[in-house]
Amino acid sequence: MTQPGSFPPEIVYEARNVTKRYPGVLALDRVTFRAWRHQVNVMIGENGAGKSTLMRVLAGVETADEGELLLEGNRIVLESPRDASARGISIVHQELLALTNLNISENIFAGRELRRSAVFVDEARQQARSRAALERLGKPMNALTQTARLPLGCRQIVEIARSLDQRSKILILDEPTSALSTAETDSLFEVIADLKSSGVTIIYISHRLHELLHLGDRFTVLRSGRVVGEAPRAEVSRRWIVERMSGRADFYSTGKNSAPVAAKTVLSVKNLSLRGSSGDEAAQTPLHEVSFSLREGEILGIYGLLGAGRTELVEALAGFRQIASGRIEMFGKEKPVDSVRAAIQAGIVLLPEDRQRDGLFPDLSIRENMVLAAPRGAFLSRVAEAAQVRELAAELHIAAKDFELPVTTLSGGNQQKVLLARCLMCSPSVLLMDEPTRGVDVGAKAEIYGILRVLAGKGLSIIFTSSEIEETRALADRVLVLCQGRISSELSREEATDERLFAAASPTVNSASSPLRSMPSQGPSA
Amino acid sequence: MNTGTRELPRTRNLAEIALRWALALLRGRAFFVLIALLIVFSALAPEFLTVNNLSILTKHVAITALLAIGMTFVILTGGIDLSVGSIAGLGGMVAGYLLTQGFSLGGSTRYPSVALAILVTICACLVVGALNGWLVAKAGVAPFIATLGTLYIARGAAMLTSNGKTFPNLGGTAARGNSGFTAFGQSYILHVPAPVWMMAALFAITWVIAVKTPFGRHVYAVGGNERAARLTGIRVNQVKVATYLFSSFCAALVGLIIASQLEAAHPATGEAFELNAIAAVVLGGTSLMGGRGSVTGSLIGAFVIGVLADGLVMLGVSEFWQMVIKGVVIVLAVGLDQAQTRLQAKLLPLLEAGR
Repeated sequence: MTQPGSFPPEIVYEARNVTKRYPGVLALDRVTFRAWRHQVNVMIGENGAGKSTLMRVLAGVETADEGELLLEGNRIVLESPRDASARGISIVHQELLALTNLNISENIFAGRELRRSAVFVDEARQQARSRAALERLGKPMNALTQTARLPLGCRQIVEIARSLDQRSKILILDEPTSALSTAETDSLFEVIADLKSSGVTIIYISHRLHELLHLGDRFTVLRSGRVVGEAPRAEVSRRWIVERMSGRADFYSTGKNSAPVAAKTVLSVKNLSLRGSSGDEAAQTPLHEVSFSLREGEILGIYGLLGAGRTELVEALAGFRQIASGRIEMFGKEKPVDSVRAAIQAGIVLLPEDRQRDGLFPDLSIRENMVLAAPRGAFLSRVAEAAQVRELAAELHIAAKDFELPVTTLSGGNQQKVLLARCLMCSPSVLLMDEPTRGVDVGAKAEIYGILRVLAGKGLSIIFTSSEIEETRALADRVLVLCQGRISSELSREEATDERLFAAASPTVNSASSPLRSMPSQGPSA
Repeated sequence: MNTGTRELPRTRNLAEIALRWALALLRGRAFFVLIALLIVFSALAPEFLTVNNLSILTKHVAITALLAIGMTFVILTGGIDLSVGSIAGLGGMVAGYLLTQGFSLGGSTRYPSVALAILVTICACLVVGALNGWLVAKAGVAPFIATLGTLYIARGAAMLTSNGKTFPNLGGTAARGNSGFTAFGQSYILHVPAPVWMMAALFAITWVIAVKTPFGRHVYAVGGNERAARLTGIRVNQVKVATYLFSSFCAALVGLIIASQLEAAHPATGEAFELNAIAAVVLGGTSLMGGRGSVTGSLIGAFVIGVLADGLVMLGVSEFWQMVIKGVVIVLAVGLDQAQTRLQAKLLPLLEAGR
């Protein structure tokens, strides 16, 4: 559609008709994305829309299956992130890749150390340049501070300083604020504004609307691997974004509210609190006085942005996190869920968010993965297990040829169903699902929603967390919105509109008035 | 989805059968290596395949096999137990001390019965195993370091029991009521040496535990994905402690067998045995990263090492060359393991896709 010669000078970098496939998933489907010179180019979309994949292609971390990249109108091929940074394109990843065992200047120069006499690391020059970069960002920090001791916001700054030192013309920020406090976010925005005025082109990915509207100059919306909208700031409104992001056209229909209001209460949580983490490795959002109840056969959605405390809440209910205070009652009786076993015995099981890290046993077969948590006698019976597995697999439509093959041979959707089967084998009263369709393709998504609806119809109570509005609205009978560790709103299925969910999930900008100015200006040794 | 595969169902079935065979061959490679070794040595050394030689051979193998069986569970959880050789040495010395020095009670020296001596020895070794388990599971010390520490501790303790000397004459006397210890490692039941029976029994028990009990599956689960195991409600720490206890129990048996066979306890007994045991486990296809492997493999691995050593001696290969050859075999086996893992990863999706 675009002629090879037509490349307007305002566009610095363009991805043209890029397609990227992963096993079982079409992550990007002929996506064309343009980055405009000296502007903040915003890329919006829900989880799994393909934002991060596109960014990785733009930054040379991954190669597209089809399509081309054009830098200043010239076709380029990026073999590695090194290639990209040599051309002035750098990325700050969503999961911060800081080498926490090294200090700030070592991080800034990791993999491209400055040398003295061709052999030795030129520490002095590295530190001087690190200081210069940090100062330009308005965050003078001691370059010798170990990054493990820095709050997440500062690590982000270190990563940005790294790309600044490489004289990047294009800086890609992938969900930079997802782990930041409000104060940290504010100072990051100042940095971005400075960079923009000094001639850097920014590509900014997020799903936090208020940030984007504040920051963005150009908007591109992705949904299910496709570009569904592109416009300059002047033409963009909150409504414009929300409509395109959630794509009302392919709304999943999963039937009516199945839980009668009169159904008995299965689980009630009273004033549950969780402490925040002091360590910096596994960041834990504190929960404050969370109370709610769950009826039999009800599907309760917990919606919130990244870092709202969704995972913390369900993991606490599943006995995987130490709760600071509060009560958890099952059928009106208090149950101390201080371990995963205790939770399972109380009838609460969790299907974790990160399948690979927290759920699957890659060395074990499909059958073994399914039966692992089920209560058993002294000896295992392969025959009985196989029968159980076959029965559940049929019920959940697990498409597997042979249940003795490793679980890793299955697609994402089928792996998720295997884990669902494992949970069901514990015969739970309450099923917790953290992001029930993460890394699952669209077809399997609808199938999983259908299965959950059927299970709820049989009386199982389900709590699921989601950062996707579409999913929350499609599946939940009732929605609790979490924001910064607190329940900010409770909405019925009818009340849960896109606008209301967004509003309740977004922290009001001046609510948390800078709890700590978290940039250590000069470290102790300076 | 692909019409090309649908047109040729018979070829696909044949290809699938070939794939399955290739996988089976790769999985059972230690077994085939063992068969090959047996054939080669039988052909080259006529006296190799005699009842007498095979009996001696299995007796040697039993020592390595017992340690390897115990080690398998530890390695399956993703750990390692370097202390088993030292524990065997300590076990022999505890038994030797009790049988020759006795213990003083109320001013007079008493000699425990053989059964009691064996029991106390096993308990002493279990204490070291418990220490290993506690260090790894509760204190969070890396298994390599924790058991390296107890390797030295147990060896030192063994030396301390006798100031580095040997306890001779473990046969005991009827007057002291402690004769009969030699039967533990020297007796024959149905023409089969007692240690071989122990190996067989322990293998059978361990196989059942690994394959047929929830505990066995938990061992695999912990090694495969510890976080997921915790989230599934598996008591990860208990599983780990149990594996170190079991490994030290096997080491205690080895210490007792050797002391009984030699009728003497020497504090340096069992030096470097842990390396043989680890080699046997690895030869048997168990991954040092945990989660993948089998007890059967370890038993076969122990036989490979034993047959190789025995056969090379019979062929008159020098001791130094024997070490080189053993090393080469171990490295080759692990290299092959890596190759087969990659190959399996490639082949399995083909099988799955061929539905």
